[in-house]
Amino acid sequence: MKKNILLSVFISVFILAGTSFSSGAENSLLLKNGNVITISGETIMGGDILIKGRKIAEVSKNIQGGPNTKIIDLEGKWVMPGIIDSHSHIAIEGGVNEMGSLMTPEVDIKDVIYPEDINIFYALTGGVTTIHTMHGSGNPIGGRGIVLKLRWGKSAEEMIFKGAPLTIKWALGENPKRTNFSLPGQARYPKTRMGVEASIRNELERAKDYLSKWEDYKKTLKAKKGQKPLPPRKDYRLEVIADMLRGKYWIRCHGYQSEEMLSILHLCEEYGLKLVCFEHGLEGYRITNELVKHKVAVSTFADFWSYKWEAYHTMPHAVALMAQRGVLVAINSDDPERMRHLFVDAAKAVRFGGLSELEALKTLTINPAIIMGIEKQTGTIEPGKDADLAVFNRHPLDPYTVCQMTLVDGEVYFDRAKYLEDRKKAEEEKKKKEEEAKKPQEKKQKREV
Amino acid sequence: MTKRIHCLGISFFMILILFSLQPLLYSEEDLHSVWVIKDCRIVPLSGPQIEKGVVVLRDGLIEAVGASVSIPPDAEILDGSKLTVYPGLIDALGQSLLKLPEEKFDAAKFYSGEFTDKDRGIVPELRAFDHVNLRKAALEKYHRFGITGAQVMPQRGILTGQSSIFSLSSSDKNKALLQKDRALGIGFSPGVFMTYPNSLMGIISYLKQELTDASYYKMKMDRWEKERKGLSRSAYSPKMEILSSYTAGKKPVVFLCRSQHDIRRALSLASELKLNFLICDLGNEAFKAIPELKKAKARVLCTLTFKAPATSVHAQLGREERKKAEEELYSKNPAKLAEAGIPFAFSSLGNDDPKSFMEAVQKAIENGLSREKALEALTVQAASFLGLEQAMGTLEEGKIANLALIEGEILTKEAKVRYVFADGQKFELKEAKVKEGEKPTVNVTGKWEFSIEAGPGTMKLTVDFMQEEASLSGTMTSPFGVFDFTGGSVVGNEIYFEMTLAAGGQEIDLYFSAVVEGDTMEGSVVQGTAGSAEFTAKRIPS
Repeated sequence: MKKNILLSVFISVFILAGTSFSSGAENSLLLKNGNVITISGETIMGGDILIKGRKIAEVSKNIQGGPNTKIIDLEGKWVMPGIIDSHSHIAIEGGVNEMGSLMTPEVDIKDVIYPEDINIFYALTGGVTTIHTMHGSGNPIGGRGIVLKLRWGKSAEEMIFKGAPLTIKWALGENPKRTNFSLPGQARYPKTRMGVEASIRNELERAKDYLSKWEDYKKTLKAKKGQKPLPPRKDYRLEVIADMLRGKYWIRCHGYQSEEMLSILHLCEEYGLKLVCFEHGLEGYRITNELVKHKVAVSTFADFWSYKWEAYHTMPHAVALMAQRGVLVAINSDDPERMRHLFVDAAKAVRFGGLSELEALKTLTINPAIIMGIEKQTGTIEPGKDADLAVFNRHPLDPYTVCQMTLVDGEVYFDRAKYLEDRKKAEEEKKKKEEEAKKPQEKKQKREV
Repeated sequence: MTKRIHCLGISFFMILILFSLQPLLYSEEDLHSVWVIKDCRIVPLSGPQIEKGVVVLRDGLIEAVGASVSIPPDAEILDGSKLTVYPGLIDALGQSLLKLPEEKFDAAKFYSGEFTDKDRGIVPELRAFDHVNLRKAALEKYHRFGITGAQVMPQRGILTGQSSIFSLSSSDKNKALLQKDRALGIGFSPGVFMTYPNSLMGIISYLKQELTDASYYKMKMDRWEKERKGLSRSAYSPKMEILSSYTAGKKPVVFLCRSQHDIRRALSLASELKLNFLICDLGNEAFKAIPELKKAKARVLCTLTFKAPATSVHAQLGREERKKAEEELYSKNPAKLAEAGIPFAFSSLGNDDPKSFMEAVQKAIENGLSREKALEALTVQAASFLGLEQAMGTLEEGKIANLALIEGEILTKEAKVRYVFADGQKFELKEAKVKEGEKPTVNVTGKWEFSIEAGPGTMKLTVDFMQEEASLSGTMTSPFGVFDFTGGSVVGNEIYFEMTLAAGGQEIDLYFSAVVEGDTMEGSVVQGTAGSAEFTAKRIPS
């Protein structure tokens, strides 16, 4: 049986060789005989997925492809929607934090996408197809983030998830306060929680002033009386804050403790800001009513805590507790290594928190998709959605499962069997070369003898 | 007291050298203003090749080029029957002629938090012109490869400074200058940690704000010039004044791009801020951004190190993959740019030494770049990028008399540059004392006693050499101090090294070359602006 599976993998590799489903509606691909975890509906045992171009065309049993349809036989493997990591810092070049200033909304991850980051490939090996990669938590208002599809090998521009809402990173607590690390130089304001909040409020007020300056200018310009006025100076930092006040940015706020989260909920309510999600939010289970009321999600870890004081008060049940009480929860990586086995983290929520398998898988798929505002394009296996898929040899929540294949936009970006074969070939080639290189030396030595 | 001895020592040495100098025959500065090169093959690049013709130079300019040009009676004649005349080559962007002051960072600033713009790598006021050092020995290094023009630019930091363009005709930078403050360097490496900006994304945001501020400053100042009533004026800012001359598509900026990603960042900045720009491809990855470069009609200053940047996927996959990619892909960067029709000139950045720069041009040719394209990159294209297409790049009447006279075909291994003319001055390149590419046949490692024949007397000093294959470094112990040097070379039985003596607030550059015979050597030392002296040296038995 094992042999058969291996054989089929190799066959599928051969079928795949030379195919490209990058674009064009003519390309169609049929994944046959998989156990399809659709997330949106029933899991279809022995089901097929028909992909046309970049999109899923049909999900059911016994689909017949056309004459030009490429077929991959999954032989009973498990397929789930591509994993979405809503909190990541990979694929960023030249620093994740702009530490030179307190408020840095002007900086934009979009400017420094690093499409050659090998961690993108590693993420694909763990079934991840979409990430939200963002500024660190060094500043109360950090920079703008970006949603990427992991189209490994493509340019930065081509990796950007088109249509995904723009995000901005905020941070509360010990990181912006610089509680746990000292950098040379004078202590930076803010040093307290109240300072962090005040600094944000201050920046919001500055932006309001800035907006009214421009409005005054425009009014005077329209009045066309007397001297043409001087326009105000364009301030890139305040422009972003102003856009945030106008609702252009979805706020992703790093915070651990419930008091801080509550107080920022109220601040955002006061200014009419679109606070979408608390990052980490380890104490989120304490304020589920408020989170549900304000429709604020939590993007968190399954069982990672106690690495600093503010991260003490949580437990592996937190994800389940929040999800069961109606909070939108995503399990995220925040780390290139954890990113490769997020499915294991989701399984922990089942094992420790008693979350249902479906709810657990949602924390990796449709929930982060909703948090990132891309739930119409991805996050489930449904006709019309992007063909972002992860194939596993066992159920994705099985502790021994291994991701076998990852598709983005209907294109195979990772195929474990092919990858291992390529690696073997490369090793053989290298060995051969080394042996060849040795030969003349041996002859030489003989001659010398 | 010791300081005084140093001062005395150095001036003593200077006096010795100055008295002993033979006039340096290398250049014949100001002796002749009219030159005729006759019976030479001419490759003017502005038109068809002339198999046997005449080039007339007068007062630093080309007066005539052609097959049948009458020879003016007042001309000094150079027989060019074995030579081909080419336009002098141009290094479109380099820094080896630059001698920037040593930067010492004051760590106390970390505690005071009082960082300057300089600490942040923001130095638009840094002018190459102020720090260029056109030592004769350096000029000769360029001349040896037919290079007679160079753009020099500081390249450290974010706003790295302003370039100047020189004709390599004189050690007097005022005479050699072609264009001052031509281009502004923009880099993507942050300055001191904890200053703003200290991340790549911060740098990009900073550049947007700063260059927008510069335009705003200019607009405000211009309006105040016209309307003195009812308008507030900007506070005077030298920085903004400089930057505003590079915004709104006026003077060009040079983006120092470390990778294909930097190139895309630069293109997007240039388009957003409407900059007149050049891409300097420090990462040798322009070939990976061809569609974008084409779309932006970008001009590329192509460096020739053929190294894959650390950000490349090849580098992340390990040493072997990187090496393979460098051989198979990166060495073809210029050829691919040529194939794609992207205009490019060559920059010596990363090679610095003209010798390795021109060897790298050879390597580009070996990797698929046509010799014609390479020559174009070093002449016509470079001149155009520098905004000097009217004055340089081809052999045409009225252009500056910068020429390379070569035995053999230019840009081949066999080519020998016999003469160059820069601003109409002849520089003869004697059969290189150092034969290119020859392996060392001597090993000078150890201590040597030098006797320098310095007119009124002999000066003794000790040099402790360290030779590793062809490269030479060491320490000189002299009556006025101990000085280290690196970067020397050994070719065949000849050695070459240079060092800077610094004491008592003065700096003297010395260039030593010698022929080694067993445990003795004979040679000469050239002092930057003054001339040369002969010396002998003996190995001190260890």
